[in-house]
Amino acid sequence: MSQSSKNISTVAPDLRSRIGNVEFKNPVLVASGTFGYGAEAKDYCDIEQLGGIVTKSVSWKPRVGNHPHRIVETPSGMLNSIGLANVGVHTFVKEKLPYLAKFDTKIIANIAASSMEEYRDVLELIEQNAVENLAGYEINVSCPNVKDGGLSFGTSVERTEELTALLRQSTDRLLIIKLTPNVTSVAPFAQACERAGADAISLINTVVGMAVDIYNREPRLSTVTGGVSGPAVKPIALAKVYDARKASAIPIIGIGGIITAEDAVEFLIVGSSVIQVGTANFVHPDAGVRVAKGLEEFLRAQGIAHVTELVNSLKVRAELKAAGW
Amino acid sequence: MTPEDSQMLSRVTRRREIAPGLVTLRFLNPKVAHTTVAGQFVNVLPKVGFLDPMLRRPFSVYNIDGDEAEIIIQAHGRGTNILTETREGDMLDVLGPLGNPWNTASGDFKTAVLLIGGVGVASMQLLTRTLVSSDVPVQTFYGARSKTLFALDGLTNLHLSTDDGSEGFHGSNIALLRSQLEEGSIASPKLFVCGPTGMMRAAKALAAEFKIPCELSLETEMACGIGICQGCPVVTDDETFNTTGKRFRLVCMEGPSFAAERIVI
Ligand SMILES: Cc1cc2nc3c(=O)[nH]c(=O)nc-3n(C[C@H](O)[C@H](O)[C@H](O)COP(=O)(O)OP(=O)(O)OC[C@H]3O[C@@H](n4cnc5c(N)ncnc54)[C@H](O)[C@@H]3O)c2cc1C
Ligand SMILES: Cc1cc2nc3c(=O)[nH]c(=O)nc-3n(C[C@H](O)[C@H](O)[C@H](O)COP(=O)(O)O)c2cc1C
Ligand code: FES
Repeated sequence: MSQSSKNISTVAPDLRSRIGNVEFKNPVLVASGTFGYGAEAKDYCDIEQLGGIVTKSVSWKPRVGNHPHRIVETPSGMLNSIGLANVGVHTFVKEKLPYLAKFDTKIIANIAASSMEEYRDVLELIEQNAVENLAGYEINVSCPNVKDGGLSFGTSVERTEELTALLRQSTDRLLIIKLTPNVTSVAPFAQACERAGADAISLINTVVGMAVDIYNREPRLSTVTGGVSGPAVKPIALAKVYDARKASAIPIIGIGGIITAEDAVEFLIVGSSVIQVGTANFVHPDAGVRVAKGLEEFLRAQGIAHVTELVNSLKVRAELKAAGW
Repeated sequence: MTPEDSQMLSRVTRRREIAPGLVTLRFLNPKVAHTTVAGQFVNVLPKVGFLDPMLRRPFSVYNIDGDEAEIIIQAHGRGTNILTETREGDMLDVLGPLGNPWNTASGDFKTAVLLIGGVGVASMQLLTRTLVSSDVPVQTFYGARSKTLFALDGLTNLHLSTDDGSEGFHGSNIALLRSQLEEGSIASPKLFVCGPTGMMRAAKALAAEFKIPCELSLETEMACGIGICQGCPVVTDDETFNTTGKRFRLVCMEGPSFAAERIVI
């Protein structure tokens, strides 16, 4: 290493990121439903190098999930219709949460339910069994793959606001609402979450899509439609983050097709405080760690001291902004 | 196991084309070579650094030798078309070994009957090696569309059949096995089955009819291969889990082989 580059390259960039009063060691979390409950991937991924783990959606009772076929690969992505298969909150607090407590990283418990009361009961049971590294909750109002899975909340601004306000009463930990991209504009949803006291919103859950077996003329997923994820949805996700960023000051967790550190940087620039890596974990179970390491290299190479300098740094010309872009 | 050595870029040391579209790839991967037990699989990227196709593809471990492991691939889609074009010297991204071995210790049989359809042969060479080394008699009923499509390395006591009659029995290996079971010439058999769905369904029915144990190695679409996507379940008739009398088991974590009587196929 040459002396002249010493100043830039030897100072480790600061990756610490914040939402509310919670500090993450870096802004890279793994997304709900793409990392199990943490234990599954531990042989393939050094969990403690992640900023945090968002666990698979849990509901009050266990759910077996949808009938196969549940996944189909699509161009630069995949379609899934898992149907919220999960162990149920009782097993979650008895087995999964205590296991996750052993790791030096933040845990965010994702909750899916079909009624206001179920969301509240699940959250309160986790709250009663909270472990030290439990940073908060991500509320899934956006699963497109079950008929009673919260999307009825996630597509109504009023119900999203009502649910957020209700859950706000039950916890002082982070309350994050995970929104769907399957609405005309996410802006009113972001504003509703902010009004009702959420600490952040997550954008995006999967985009509704389908695939057809042309020989049998049957849908390739058992539920006909499913959710698209992976690099194919990244441009959609970035636009949704931008839409929410313009409309509200609520912190945003950017999700959708993040494979590389450069993808993550795009989300940070557009206005995400932290990001989540989802489908990429299926290809490389340590994808989140790869993104975090790549982010550090990017900051170093660009001479950026704090990752937070990237957040919300998008340059849009004033006249464009004035014209509504 | 450390996170680092579970995903390895592995150099391809030998490519062999058995027939057009049926290829074996041997690669340097000490971990897979030294720890795989017959019936386990690896999850392989079609091409390193590609986003499309994006997901890994599962392949049984076909052979192990020193620090090298081998897979056998039948081209029939985008990923397998790319993989069968891999050249010697290229790098493969291999995650594994994954899944569970064949259950050779079930103690309920004297003769292992290997029932193979097409590229279902993939896990049978290692299975044969395991069985022969513990002195279990093996009979192998191997069916293919045509005689050029057999991969016979390391198999033993072969009963071949082809759909076109170009080799061995003209017809299905199920029919051939049925005639031998009717004769009662195989002492206390257990079926170890891998092949197309139709053949596995017939094998399950045959085993039920003759009241013999039967294990099926199943193939379902997989994304992760390690239990995090929940994408790969098979339906079982196990009533312990939910009220509809159906439950799902992940093929990657609980399989890929299952006792046939529990599987809805
Ligand atoms: C545990 C396991 C072990 C396997 N071992 C071998 C092996 O040793 N050799 C071998 O040639 N093949 C094996 N297969 C099947 C192989 O994984 C598929 O043929 C391959 O994934 C298809 O990929 P593709 O891109 O070529 O096909 P695609 O273009 O993705 O699809 C073509 C067709 O293949 C079907 N398909 C896609 N993925 C799978 C899958 N995972 N399993 C079955 N069908 C699928 C699709 O439904 C479609 O009809 C195994 C599968 C499993 C689950
Ligand atoms: C197989 C699969 C299962 C998922 N399960 C959940 C879930 O249980 N809860 C949830 O909030 N999001 C779930 N998601 C959505 C992801 O968390 C993420 O929002 C989405 O996939 C977009 O990110 P990606 O492109 O990086 O995967 C799932 C996604 C996939 C692909
Ligand atoms: S392939 Fe992902 S859970 Fe089995």
